[in-house]
Amino acid sequence: MIEKLNLSAGPHIRDRWTTPFIMLIVLLSLVPAAVVGVCVHGLHALWIILAAIGAAVLTELLFCLVTRRRISIWDGSAAVTGMLLALSLSPSTPIALPIIGSVFAILVVKCCFGGLGKNFINPALAARCFLLISFGNAMTVFPKLDGVSSATPVAELMAGKTINITSMFLGTANGVIGASVLALLVGGLILWGLDIIHGEICFSVLASFTLVMGLFGGHGFDIKFLLAHLCGGGVVMGAFFMATDYTTSPVSRLGQFIYGCLIGVLGALFRCFGHAADSFSYSIIIANLFTPLIDMYIVQKPYAYRKSAIARANGEQKLPIWQRIPKPVIALTLITLLAGVALSGVFTMTKDTIEASKAAAQRASFKVVLPDADADDPFVPMEAPAGVYGDGAYRKTVINEVYKGVDQSGNTVGYVFVITNSNGYSGDIKLSLGVKANGTVCGIAFTELNETPGKGSLAAEPAFKDQFNNRVADAFELNGNNPNGIDAITGATITSNAVLDAINAGLNYFNTVIKGGN
Amino acid sequence: MKDTFRGGVHPKDKKELSREAALRVFDAKGEMVFPLAQHIGKPAKAVVQKGDAVLVGDVLAEADGFVSANVICSCSGTVKAVEKRRTISGAMQECVVVTNDGSYTENGRFGTREDISAITNEEILKRVKDAGIIGLGGAGFPTHVKLAPKSPLGVKYLIANGAECEPYLTCNDQLMRGSAKEIVEGMEIVLRLFPNAQGVIAIEQNKHEAIAAMEKAVKGHSRIRVLSLRTKYPQGGERSLIRVIAGIDYPITKLPADVGCIVDNVGTIYAIGRAVIYREPLFRHVMTVTGEAIKEPSNFIARDGTSFQELIEAAGGIKDGVTVKKIISGGPMMGIAVGSIDIPITKTTNGITVLAEDGVELAEKKMTACLHCGRCTTVCPNGLMPQMMADAVEVGDFERYEKKLYGLDCISCGSCTYICPAKRPLTQTFKQTKAEIMARKRAAQAGGKK
Repeated sequence: MIEKLNLSAGPHIRDRWTTPFIMLIVLLSLVPAAVVGVCVHGLHALWIILAAIGAAVLTELLFCLVTRRRISIWDGSAAVTGMLLALSLSPSTPIALPIIGSVFAILVVKCCFGGLGKNFINPALAARCFLLISFGNAMTVFPKLDGVSSATPVAELMAGKTINITSMFLGTANGVIGASVLALLVGGLILWGLDIIHGEICFSVLASFTLVMGLFGGHGFDIKFLLAHLCGGGVVMGAFFMATDYTTSPVSRLGQFIYGCLIGVLGALFRCFGHAADSFSYSIIIANLFTPLIDMYIVQKPYAYRKSAIARANGEQKLPIWQRIPKPVIALTLITLLAGVALSGVFTMTKDTIEASKAAAQRASFKVVLPDADADDPFVPMEAPAGVYGDGAYRKTVINEVYKGVDQSGNTVGYVFVITNSNGYSGDIKLSLGVKANGTVCGIAFTELNETPGKGSLAAEPAFKDQFNNRVADAFELNGNNPNGIDAITGATITSNAVLDAINAGLNYFNTVIKGGN
Repeated sequence: MKDTFRGGVHPKDKKELSREAALRVFDAKGEMVFPLAQHIGKPAKAVVQKGDAVLVGDVLAEADGFVSANVICSCSGTVKAVEKRRTISGAMQECVVVTNDGSYTENGRFGTREDISAITNEEILKRVKDAGIIGLGGAGFPTHVKLAPKSPLGVKYLIANGAECEPYLTCNDQLMRGSAKEIVEGMEIVLRLFPNAQGVIAIEQNKHEAIAAMEKAVKGHSRIRVLSLRTKYPQGGERSLIRVIAGIDYPITKLPADVGCIVDNVGTIYAIGRAVIYREPLFRHVMTVTGEAIKEPSNFIARDGTSFQELIEAAGGIKDGVTVKKIISGGPMMGIAVGSIDIPITKTTNGITVLAEDGVELAEKKMTACLHCGRCTTVCPNGLMPQMMADAVEVGDFERYEKKLYGLDCISCGSCTYICPAKRPLTQTFKQTKAEIMARKRAAQAGGKK
């Protein structure tokens, strides 16, 4: 029966994929990570996820109602935002935070800028950063699985500790709800396979991150070190789910590649030289802001206008490979190379100076801890014990150097030990210990101390370090009431113990080897 | 050998509806209407008047200028009028209307096989021109113009386009199955014009029987081969074929001949063979009447000027209880929706698709804002960026559309609109924008002359 014919312009058939369908698949691809999160961290994680999704959808609904727009919640993008936000929160977050975050993400970042496809940064990430700034304490407490709060693996990693990569990969380490790298990879690779997310973005993020981490991370291309950094701090989540957000990433392939590299490089530099463990979120947001600029200038030419195509159409031979590479790629490579050369140049040029000034500082410290040695060349090197001293009795203590202190008349007035202990709160503690010939501690001076300012750093204050002076002991203890007791630094037990271990190791070496040998 | 181009989409081909229906000759009963502008270029000039008696094969209108083509009478009867009638585009156009006496008496000037081994290239081109042959693939470019490029010696490939990538349509499939030998004859004739060219018959892989038939027909032929291509829309686009076969991408400002290629639909090649060997003018061609709403989807050899109405009835009519939503002249990707079935088919009408479900109507209900997902960029066979082009149009930045995004290179294949999950009307926007930019250019030129 022919009654009324539609006269719209072609094409008259359409693909079955719709916006809600794509959003549904993205949502489903996040489900494995969510399930692992809930299984590992308990029901509270589920409430966080549901609260975030619910608040996001409800906010959008209310916004549409109040502003009398077409109800847009069925496109599913609000639910995806809520899910992403929830998965990037700590499982111990109070339930109010995901709700506040979702409202901020949808209302401020998305709806106020025009809704779907118009937001300038990733709403979920923006909300996460908003929460981090507003509720720092509640956001950064992560329940250890035995109930004690602690830092995330990346915070520990940045503090120079070793961590369990396997548990990070599986998602059983402490961290955000969606921390299971395995589950995220499964979801992410499915999305990539279905051509929903662009490989240009996620793989350039991962590759550039790994590269810069290897170059500047200080551990070279150590696989364990790189894997630990890749598995932690939302790198996988960021690469596959946050950076690939359609609206806030460039459209052209080359643009996507540049954008991905920007995220990876920034993220790795923040990790290497910054202090925040959450830096990956910020690097994605910064790259988001560059997207309009990239889209404005990096536009792919139609095939027919590319150099190689013009050459072929004119019947010329294939262009040499260096003429077929797009210019921006060459420019970027050159800039990267130049920056690398410049950085390594500065490093080599300053290396000797830094070493020399370190050595001078160390020599100066000898004078402080053993002032009686006043010969023209007062400190005579002696043999130092190799490796970790005392088979671990002093934990990670190494006696690096030993010197004999000589006065003007040529008498041995005492000894100086250069000792390193790696059990500090923030890396190595290196000190010089001066002991008189009779075994009295003459003084200590720190040549390397990176402990927390206001806490562990107080070790260098006279109130702590001068307690050892003019005392004779086989070993000191952390108990002010004992005869050999020392008052610990308030709130910095780890630092106190580390210093004590270092000094006790030096005294032990003096008593057993130097005095005994005499 | 590569078997496809970059990009493209995979719509359901729906060819199963009519692919096994053998070609049937359909002789219409009612009056026949012949629009004077069936081809690209200047409309033909009517050479008959009301009351003139005409026979099958008579010239109703002559080519007016170089890029123009004759219009041939496909029935016998009397000229009823030369007047404006509604045509496929929906506009009223000048047409010759002939009252059909139903006897289909031929004028006797064609139909005998001639020995053509001695005729000159000029004679070949003349016979093609006299026959009123235009590109039957859809664009309708006059074939005698296409076959006379600036440098015939520079033509490397003669491509017979049997890809038939448009969903639903199966008439070329049937033509290749049944008339493989005649198509090869047609190619041999065209190859005489281009001594340095090799002939390639390009067919999509979903037409096994056609591939087999053509391969059999070219067996042992040194200059013609069959190439099976991946089934993907728009594989049968001129540019897609040239991309695959010659490895060349070329800007919209160039013609295929500029890059050493001549592309002709297999139907056109067949018509060239008939015109040169039998002096038969082009007054009938193959076409498919199909769609979910059609009772017996069929492939016809239909006469130009037959009304849509008669052809739909010849295919069994509309299925009982089905409400027709849309009738398309051509296939669903590039075809034109028509508002009435009281209009005539022309030389370029390769199908009538009658749909019970309108994808556009459904899509409009599901439309959301653009996601920037980039699927349109992925599928564009020319490597354009439809999403950015649409953005540029939205803010009225025609400069960026044309210069930075090369928006005039859009071939309106519809792939971007087809794939768009947000159901944005991309192709439609680009058609309008291209027209607008061209109009402004013409206006600027006209202004400059004053």
